[in-house]
Amino acid sequence: MNCDEVEDILGAYALDALPGELSADVTAHLATCSKHPEAAELRAVAGALAFAAPEAQPSAALKTRLLEALREESEPADAAPRRIGILGWLKPPVRQRAVPYALAGALVIALIALVITNVGGSDEPRRAASSLSGENNAGAVVYELEDGIIVLDAEGLKPLDTAQTYQLWSIASGKPSSLGLIGTAPNGEALAVVRADLNAIESLAVTIEPAGGSIAPTTDPVLEGKV
Amino acid sequence: MSPDLIDPSERNTHREDGDLADGLRRRDPLAMEILYERLGRQAFGLAYRILGDGPSAEDAVQEALLTVWRQADRIDAARGRLNSFVLTLVHHKAIDALRVKRGQQARQISVDFAEVEKVGADFSERVLQSIASGEVRAALTRLPEEQRRPIEMAYYEGLTHLEIAAALDLPLGTVKSRLRLGLEKLRVALRAGSGDELRRS
Repeated sequence: MNCDEVEDILGAYALDALPGELSADVTAHLATCSKHPEAAELRAVAGALAFAAPEAQPSAALKTRLLEALREESEPADAAPRRIGILGWLKPPVRQRAVPYALAGALVIALIALVITNVGGSDEPRRAASSLSGENNAGAVVYELEDGIIVLDAEGLKPLDTAQTYQLWSIASGKPSSLGLIGTAPNGEALAVVRADLNAIESLAVTIEPAGGSIAPTTDPVLEGKV
Repeated sequence: MSPDLIDPSERNTHREDGDLADGLRRRDPLAMEILYERLGRQAFGLAYRILGDGPSAEDAVQEALLTVWRQADRIDAARGRLNSFVLTLVHHKAIDALRVKRGQQARQISVDFAEVEKVGADFSERVLQSIASGEVRAALTRLPEEQRRPIEMAYYEGLTHLEIAAALDLPLGTVKSRLRLGLEKLRVALRAGSGDELRRS
């Protein structure tokens, strides 16, 4: 394939609208020819068409299904405790300060909250937004990871049997909306990432609900706190 | 362009995505949750636009994100590239599903992060990550129908240029040139749009 032939079908190529063999011929030509600098840009423009589709909300079940599939795919050996995960990569400054991992209960939460608050300045977008509390030393820190996305970091949640689940709620004007289900580790810790506009929320609460979750809370909160 | 044209908040974004890519490489489900919350609605919107039904669209999104999970070792930090990679995967999974639905063979175009990475660095880094989705939609809408339609048929319906020519009853050469011309116009529009974006910020 020569340069003219490539130019002739470059638009179709950028849009993946060529039959496989022809597309492979163009790719091979572009790999060795520098006379088509616009090829990469046209592909990028074609890729940007993904943003022309209006956003839409998938069902809440998709996230649950996805996370289940991940767990099935992961080797048990890879499954590092999630708290180490979050300290390890999400907040590198925390690990550098060597926060004692074994510290008990509320002290850990207090420390994490403190560190999060401390690093919340200069170039750190994350900041503690709220803390939730409950009975028997159950508690959680909520912080904003980036605009519209929050992380709930909880502990002291008693393990539930498979017929029940923890569910996170946002409350605005007295009305609760589900932010999703929360899975807990056997040690009572839980981490959840959900989409929520903290400016539009008055408080957050966690309740125990039947497996699959409820449309509105059916029990009293085990954790709650103002935002 | 000089570096000081970059909005300072973008630097955080880059840094944070280093964390996110790192988390994915460590197979931390939390990293996937973050990616899902950030991109899930755009990804589902795209798949839904292509497939037209919720369950199939969700399957395409799930398959794409599982592919990200499996290929996480090859992912690097920049947000623009990670987002592009994810949406490219969603697009391909959805188009494959659509073709199967229509009784056609799936195209099975392989998507490799390395290939997404090769996309003109200047363009993808600076432009793609700053464009608002509304801008792409508006630019597409402004194209003359005769260019927009073939582009939509290629991108959202997964048709080849031969299939588009047959469906629109046009000579193949006309379809080729309209696809090219339409993309060129979009390129100019997005470049201009992103320039405005950078100046505003």
